[in-house]
Amino acid sequence: MSKVILVTGGSGLVGQALQHVLNDTESDPAFRAQPDETWHFATSKEADLRCPEQTRQLFEKYKPTHVIHLAALVGGLFKNMSHNLTFLRDNIRINDNVLSSAHDADVTKVISCLSTCVFPDEKGLRDLYPLTEQKIHIGPPHPSNFGYSHAKRLVDIQNHAYKQEFGRNYTSAIPTNVFGPYDNFDLRDSHVIPGLMHKAYLAEKSGTVFQPSGSGKPLRQFIYSRDLAKLFVWMLRNYDDVEPVILSVPEEQEVSIEYVVDSVVKAFQKNRASTDPSKPFDVKIEWNRAAADGQFRKPASNEKLATLLKESGVQFEFTPFEQALHETVDWFVKNYDSARTGVNKQ
Amino acid sequence: MSTPKVILVTGGSGLVGQAMRHVLFDEKTELAFRAQPDEVWHFMASKEADLRSPEETEKLFEKYKPTHVVHLAALVGGLFKNMSHNLSFLRDNILINDNVLNTSHKTNVQKVISCLSTCVFPDGAGAPPDLYPLTEAKIHLGPPHSSNFGYSHAKRLVDVQNRAYKEQYGRNYTSAIPTNIFGPHDNYDLRDSHVIPGLMHKCYLAEKNGTVFQPAGSGRPLRQFIYSHDLAKVFIWMLRHYDDVEPLIVSVSEEQEVSIEYVVNKVVAAFQKNRAARNEAAGSDGQFRKPTSNAKLRAVLEKSGVNFEFTPFEQALQESVDWFVENYETARTGDVNQVSLL
Repeated sequence: MSKVILVTGGSGLVGQALQHVLNDTESDPAFRAQPDETWHFATSKEADLRCPEQTRQLFEKYKPTHVIHLAALVGGLFKNMSHNLTFLRDNIRINDNVLSSAHDADVTKVISCLSTCVFPDEKGLRDLYPLTEQKIHIGPPHPSNFGYSHAKRLVDIQNHAYKQEFGRNYTSAIPTNVFGPYDNFDLRDSHVIPGLMHKAYLAEKSGTVFQPSGSGKPLRQFIYSRDLAKLFVWMLRNYDDVEPVILSVPEEQEVSIEYVVDSVVKAFQKNRASTDPSKPFDVKIEWNRAAADGQFRKPASNEKLATLLKESGVQFEFTPFEQALHETVDWFVKNYDSARTGVNKQ
Repeated sequence: MSTPKVILVTGGSGLVGQAMRHVLFDEKTELAFRAQPDEVWHFMASKEADLRSPEETEKLFEKYKPTHVVHLAALVGGLFKNMSHNLSFLRDNILINDNVLNTSHKTNVQKVISCLSTCVFPDGAGAPPDLYPLTEAKIHLGPPHSSNFGYSHAKRLVDVQNRAYKEQYGRNYTSAIPTNIFGPHDNYDLRDSHVIPGLMHKCYLAEKNGTVFQPAGSGRPLRQFIYSHDLAKVFIWMLRHYDDVEPLIVSVSEEQEVSIEYVVNKVVAAFQKNRAARNEAAGSDGQFRKPTSNAKLRAVLEKSGVNFEFTPFEQALQESVDWFVENYETARTGDVNQVSLL
């Protein structure tokens, strides 16, 4: 049966990774676009998903049978902290419009994208770690971005409600920290890895010291956007349950921020060696230890994913961290002028 | 306090809306909670505007230009409707609440008091061991009961929205969390109704048809009930004096918990007193205890110096039964012929 798949947020970090995985001749054939699949990538220019009519028109235009819903209003810590209402309300509207338009258009499957920030904050909760799919609602999320987090949690509730009332299999994925080409590298906004990349790049360029914040000791699980994209493709083709799936490397592959910093610098050095060996990438690292660390660990279990992959017999392996960083740094250096760096905004 | 207030009450014809009308305007009620000269009150019902529609909500606000809102309107239903329509209850209530809060914000309404429900609290099963007594701080400590999760999550979201409006715009939009409400103008439809109106209606029918009902369960589960007239007084007090974004549980004290058996007996006594003697009624146990703390309510009332006392339970039941008997023909009783299915 042929599928028409609409990807909302098609030009973002994950959307671009999906496009790469589906179309690039060098990527794994198992996750390449299949003959019975038509893929459409929609962006915010095409439709403002906060508006019910525009969402409806988008669905009428493409007539999808499946949806991968990546579109969201996202922002860094600072934007979130002072705009919880906007992040709550706009994301609720986007998600409600997409799900209800999908339902009205009889879409077979919607996979929405949650985030590990939706999980409860650790304060006062025993046995919270490692995070699993069952623990989403057992306590309030971190207060700094409660608006965004509640809007995302509501997607899981809506999925259950659509299932209960209409038998729909609308579901969701919960990735841990994503990184890759086409990320947001704006220093005011960015997540850990793109932020460190951009800082290292600027430090070397201007001959100043690269100053990562904190002690470097906190541990995190990171997932390469292209690996995440493969897993979305796999879920679309194979996963029919309403319960969410955490998409993450195993707990054992947690890395420290210090390890990330060193690996990022090595990736730049390797990139420079291949593009301009006469000018080695040389930067001095000085940790700003006065800055606060985030939480020490927020481990998530990927057991459900591992079990499902094994049962479905698909061959999937996570890209080694260093390789993923190399590819990302290579892309960043090559595309600096057009990447989302926020440089012109200053 | 002398700037005039225009207060819009959504859901104005329901159980709580009617109680507010009574408390504000009936000359027999306590003066302290009667409508004040600087207050103009408007009670709207769903016929006037479908609050699921942003445009209709906007028109409603344009018509009345409220400075304050008591937001009681909601899509509510009994256990059975909820269980099979979680999406409708989730979505419609989210739409209603978002429209009311957003329109209030855009038209610079000073205060909105929304009405939550103790069903929003985490379910006992699988909840942390120190969950009871329920307090305002415990709303989000776990998922609500699964039977009406749609409705519960929509209500919880109001508290999240209130905090977000506060954080981003400094608005004092807040909420009250009443425990089990009863009173005149209740919903007595047996498929739908809550404990007290359900028992009242069954008693009435049993006596009328000359049949006997046997209470199901032990009668031992305990509950805190609040009379709608008392709740209305607290809403009025909150409107005039409560400026916090944190919700307020509105309940009698834990010590005034009553068993279902006690309720059955008092309902019967009220009917006896009203007209004739009758027997038992039916009902299932449900959770044994869901005690709620009203410590915060007592503290804020005391601090504000207002004289407030809960109506004694027997008196409240008597007034409710008297109203029910007098208004049976027009009350919301549902299709009485469905009784045999229960």
